[in-house]
Amino acid sequence: MRRADLFGLSFMAPAILLSVLFFLVPVLLTGVFSFTSMSTSTGITGGAYEISQDTIRRLKEDGLPADVIESLESDIYPINDAGLAAVEEKYGAKFAKEIAASLSGKTFDGRRDLERALKKLKSRPRSTRELKKAADLFKSSILNIRFDSESQFQSRLDGLNLDLTPEQMQEVTREAYTGWIWTTDNYSRMASLPSTYRAAANSAVYVGFTLAFNIGFGLFLAIATFYLPSGQAAAFRTIWFLPRILPPVLYVLMWKWMTWDTGFLSTLLSFFGVPTHNLMLDTAYHAWVVVVLINGFVGASMGMILFSSAIRAIPSSMLYASEVDGASRWQQVWYIILPQLRWPILFTTAYQTLSLLTSFEYIYLSTDGGPGSATNVWALYSFKIALNNYGGNLEYGYGASLAVVLVIIGILASMLYLRLFDFKTMIGKPRIEQ
Amino acid sequence: MTTLVSKLRQSTAAAVLALTAATVAGEAFAKDLTITVWAGGSNDSDAYRIEAIEMAADMLEREYAINGEELNITVEGKRDFAGWEEFKQAVTLAAEAGTAPNIVVTSHLDIAPWSKAGLIVPVEDYVDMDAWPLNNLYENLVEITSYNGQVVGLPQDAESRPFFFWRETMKKIGYTDEDIDALPAKVEAGEYTLANVLEDAKKAVEAGAVEEGYGFYPRVSNGPDFAQFYQSFGGQLMDKETGKLILDKQAMTDFYQFFADAVEAGVTRKNHIGTEWSQWYSEVASGKAALWHGGTWHYARYTGKEGLEDFFGNIQFTLIPAGNENGRANTITHPLTYLLTNQDDEEDIEIAAQLLKIASEPRINSLHAIKSAHLGIAKEQSNIELYANDQWAAEATDRLLGHANAQPNHLKYGQFSELMFKGLETAWTGTKTPAEAVDEVEVEMKATLGDDLIVR
Repeated sequence: MRRADLFGLSFMAPAILLSVLFFLVPVLLTGVFSFTSMSTSTGITGGAYEISQDTIRRLKEDGLPADVIESLESDIYPINDAGLAAVEEKYGAKFAKEIAASLSGKTFDGRRDLERALKKLKSRPRSTRELKKAADLFKSSILNIRFDSESQFQSRLDGLNLDLTPEQMQEVTREAYTGWIWTTDNYSRMASLPSTYRAAANSAVYVGFTLAFNIGFGLFLAIATFYLPSGQAAAFRTIWFLPRILPPVLYVLMWKWMTWDTGFLSTLLSFFGVPTHNLMLDTAYHAWVVVVLINGFVGASMGMILFSSAIRAIPSSMLYASEVDGASRWQQVWYIILPQLRWPILFTTAYQTLSLLTSFEYIYLSTDGGPGSATNVWALYSFKIALNNYGGNLEYGYGASLAVVLVIIGILASMLYLRLFDFKTMIGKPRIEQ
Repeated sequence: MTTLVSKLRQSTAAAVLALTAATVAGEAFAKDLTITVWAGGSNDSDAYRIEAIEMAADMLEREYAINGEELNITVEGKRDFAGWEEFKQAVTLAAEAGTAPNIVVTSHLDIAPWSKAGLIVPVEDYVDMDAWPLNNLYENLVEITSYNGQVVGLPQDAESRPFFFWRETMKKIGYTDEDIDALPAKVEAGEYTLANVLEDAKKAVEAGAVEEGYGFYPRVSNGPDFAQFYQSFGGQLMDKETGKLILDKQAMTDFYQFFADAVEAGVTRKNHIGTEWSQWYSEVASGKAALWHGGTWHYARYTGKEGLEDFFGNIQFTLIPAGNENGRANTITHPLTYLLTNQDDEEDIEIAAQLLKIASEPRINSLHAIKSAHLGIAKEQSNIELYANDQWAAEATDRLLGHANAQPNHLKYGQFSELMFKGLETAWTGTKTPAEAVDEVEVEMKATLGDDLIVR
C-alpha cells in the first residue's frame, strides 16, 4: 500500500469509527431487539425464574395437574431437622435448640406466621432482617423465590418431588421465566394494528407536505433575496433564519402563544367577532397546517442558505447576457437559475426526506400527536411505545421493530432519489477534465 | 539543627500515624451512606415525600448512635421530572443501567412490571409488618401496594378523585343551597347521574353562567380519572377470578359517548385534551367552569397557589356520578407508594427500608397529608390534631374513601389504560364515532394484551 493511502486512511479512521459506533451498531442492535419481547417487565439484561401467583394462574390455564399446582402455590415452613441444622450453623446452637423445643414438628403457612413465633424466642437474632432470613431457612416450597439460573430453579423444583414429566418441567420453567424471548410477534402485531397504518399515513402526509414547503419556500426566499440589494437581502435572510437558531422549546412555545385559544391570533380575531378557538388543535386540518408550518419554516431556512450560495455560483456573465437578449426576470429564473440548482435541490430533498422521516421533536412539543392521534407520525409513535408513555410500560422490542421499518424506508427512499436525480452524473468528473 | 529536624520528622510521623489510626478505627464504627429518593408527579406541596425520608434519616442515625454505631445518611432527593412519562423512563433506564435511586415514590401500578423485571424488591423482606408503625397502616392500602401475595411497597399517601360543582353557577341555573348540599347523597344513591351532569352543564352554558366549552371541564391528560367514567357505566377493570383485564364494550361505548355528547352539546371543548395544567387549575379555581372532576389534592392547589379563599363556600364535591343503570357512583384511589429498588449492597436496601418504616409514622405522614391535601395512610392519624382538625381531610375521607376502589396491579394494565385513553381521544375529538373508536380499541387490545384480556 502506498504511504499516501495509509495517510488517507488515518484521516478517515475517526469518521469510520464514529459512524460504526453511533450508526452501524445502534442500527444492528435495533434490528436484534426488534426480534425480542423486551419490555419494562422483562428487563433488558436477562431474566430470572420465579413461581408467583401470576405464574400459577397461567399454569392452571395450561392444564397442569391440580396436585402439582397445589404444591407450587403453597408457601409452607415445616420445622424439621434440615431447617434446624441450617439455623444452628448460621445462628448458633442455642437458637436452634430453642426453636426445636417450642416449635418442632409444626408447619407454618406463610413466613409471617413463623416470624411471629420466632419473635417470642429469647435467643433470636435481634434484627428484623436476620429473623426473616432465619425463617427462610425452613421454607420448603418454591413460591416467590427468585432464581438467577435455570439449573438452580430446576434443582429446587426437583427437590419438591412433584414427579414432573420432562415436558411439564419444561413448561413450568418456561412460564416461570421472567426475561425476554426471541419472537417475530412484533412484526405480525405491527401488521395487524390499525394504528400502525394511521401512523404510516401520517408520516407520508407530514414528510410530503413539509418537504414541498421547505423546498418551495426555500427556493422562493433564495431567488427573491438574490434580486434584492445586498443589505436588504442579508436582513431578510437573517430574519428567516431565526426559526432555525431558536431553541426548539422556545420556538414552539411562541407558536402555542400564537395559536392557543387564549393566544394572540384568537384574541385578535375575537375583535372581529370570530369565536375564539384553538387554532392548533381544533381539527386535524388545523393541526396539520401548524405542524407543517412549524417544521417548514425551520427547514426552509436551510434550503434558502444552500440555494442562495448556489445561485451566487452561477457566472454573472450568463445573467448579463440574458438581460442583453431581453430576458425577463421570470425567464432568467426558469432558464438559467433553476436548471443550475438541480444538484442543490436533489441534495436538500434527499437530506430533508431522511431527516423528516425520523424527526418528531417539533410535533412532540406542539400537538403531541393530537388531536386524537391525527398527527401521530411513525417516529413519534415508536418513541412513545419504546420510551415514553404515561403507563410507564416501555416496549423496547416492539418499539425497535417500528424503528427498523423506518430505517428500511429511509434506505429505500435514498436509493430512489439516487436513481431519480442521476447521482452518478453528479459525482462524475467535470467534463473539462475528461 | 539536625536534631531539631529529625525531632520534627519524628513528631510529624507520629502525628500522621495517630491520625491514620484514628481514621481507621473510626471507620470500624462509622458508615457513610447516600440514599437517593426520586419522586414522580410531585410539586412543591409534595415536598414531604422526600423530606419525610430526611426526617427518618435523622431518627435512624440517633437510633444507631444509642447502639454505639455511627451512621451518616445523606438523603439526595429529586422530584423535578417533566411528567410521569419522563419520571418512569428515568427510573426504568437508570435501574437497567445499575444506577437506580434507592427509593422511588411512584404509582402503585408500577409494582407489577417492576417486580417482574426485578427492579424492585418486596419491602416485607426487610421490615416487620407486625410492628409499629406498619401495623397501623390501613389494610386496604397495604393490599393495593401488594402484588402476588407479597407486600412490595409501603403506601405513601392516599387520595380519591371527586366530582366538583361551582356553587354560584349551580345557583344561577336554579339550584338552592339545600339542593346543592343534598348533591353528595343524591349522587351516592344514583339519583343524580352523568345525564344530569350534561343537562346542568348545558343549562350553565345557555344561561351564560360559563362560557361555551366550560360546562363540564374534565382532566386534560391521561390518568386514572377516566377509568372512573368507565366504571360509572358498569365497566369492570379486572376479573378477580382469572386475573385478566376486561374490555366491556357496552360500558366503553357509553363512556366514550358521554364525552362525545358533552362536546356535541358545546359544554366541553373538542380540543380540551392537551390544555396547559396551569391554565386549567386557575380556571376551575376561579369559577370559570361549572362542573369538573379532579383529585382530593386539588384542595391544596385551589386554596394555595390559586388563591381560592373559601373552598367550602364555593365548591361542592361528590363521588363521580353513575352513568346509567349498569354502573354506580364511584371514585378511584390511586395511592403513591414507596418502593425499594434492587441494589448490589444489601445493607443499603435494609437501611432504606428502615427509613421507609420511620417515614410511615402517623405524625410524619400527617405533615405530607395536610400540606398536600392527601389522605392519611394510618388509623392513628385521626388522633393527631394536625390531621384530625383539618376539615378537608375529614370530609373527603368520610364522603369518598369508603366508596373508593383502586386500579389493578396487573402487568399489562399500563397498556390497557393507554389504549383506553387513545380510544377516548379519538371519540372526544370527533376523529371517530364512539362505536368505531371502541372497535379499534378492541383490535388494539386483543393484539397488545393477548391472553390477558376478556372481551365482553
